[in-house]
Amino acid sequence: MRPGLLGLFAAMGVVTYLTRAPLLLALADRRLPGWLERYFAALPIALLTALAVPLVLLPDGRFGGLADGQVPAAVLVVWLARRTGNLLLSVAAGVVLVATLRAVLS
Amino acid sequence: MAEERAIPQSPLAAELGAGVRDALTTVVPSIVAYGAVWGGLARQTGLSLGEVVAMCLLVSAGTAQFVALPMLASGAPPAVIVVTTYLVNLRHYLMAASLAPAFRHLSRLRLAGLAHLLSDEAYALTQARFARRPARAAYFVGCASVIYLAFYAGAVAGALLGARIPDPKRFGLDFVFPAVFLAILAQAIRAAWQWAVAVAAVTVAVAIAWQVGGTWHIAAAGLSAAALGAWLAPAARAPETPEPG
Repeated sequence: MRPGLLGLFAAMGVVTYLTRAPLLLALADRRLPGWLERYFAALPIALLTALAVPLVLLPDGRFGGLADGQVPAAVLVVWLARRTGNLLLSVAAGVVLVATLRAVLS
Repeated sequence: MAEERAIPQSPLAAELGAGVRDALTTVVPSIVAYGAVWGGLARQTGLSLGEVVAMCLLVSAGTAQFVALPMLASGAPPAVIVVTTYLVNLRHYLMAASLAPAFRHLSRLRLAGLAHLLSDEAYALTQARFARRPARAAYFVGCASVIYLAFYAGAVAGALLGARIPDPKRFGLDFVFPAVFLAILAQAIRAAWQWAVAVAAVTVAVAIAWQVGGTWHIAAAGLSAAALGAWLAPAARAPETPEPG
């Protein structure tokens, strides 16, 4: 174990923790003004969309195209999730479609 | 045994178990696979098994750990690696802020402990649960700790197996992460203002991911699309805010 690396990992851990802990501690015990409550109610949809869609459309930072398989699978997942409300079934069907399309198209 | 059965399961244990189960049946297999890929790459970068373990325990942020490996390999200055780690994790400020109201009954010590477990996947599963059921911290603890352990276990396995790890993309496992987020969104979005937030987030995130790259698009789209939501959402109590008290 190289001490320099251990120090680096500890510093990486500290800055990571600094993104997770402060607002959790600061905002947990106070009533928020109405506009801020509405902001936080909208945040999950904004964040999850911002996480998901670029992963599907731009794998590796470039438009993936059909051979990547994720775009049709994403449509299937959204349709199944709305239709059945079953998270596991929707995700599993999407993964099978992606793996199949990649095996067939590549 | 019969006596044990007669005692109803405590709400705490039930919530903890639900979190563990939801994580195991959705994201955990992919997280183990990506942990293994990371562990294999880390060994190729020259990290020892002990250093792999130390990095997982101390940093516990998968994306940042992936980003750090090529930087370590190319001999980047430690300060640059630390700053990059911070920037990659900026999105967690927003996730912590939006989870905080659900945890308002917890002691500061417990909140400080929970913070270490926060991950994109745990955030997504927890938000989906809290939108439908009363918010309980035990659910977050259940799914977040399983996700934390899954990456760690995968990383150790990958470090031991080295280069023999197959590419998870071949099995479509990379798609599990966006698929879970999309399935949760598909069930959460009902009102017109929620559609507007999603469309705004797609527009900003795709434009920035395409033109700028990196992970900036998550925080930028999250901040701006949520602002639109705050403006459009009905002035009465927001739908996803947990009951006060």
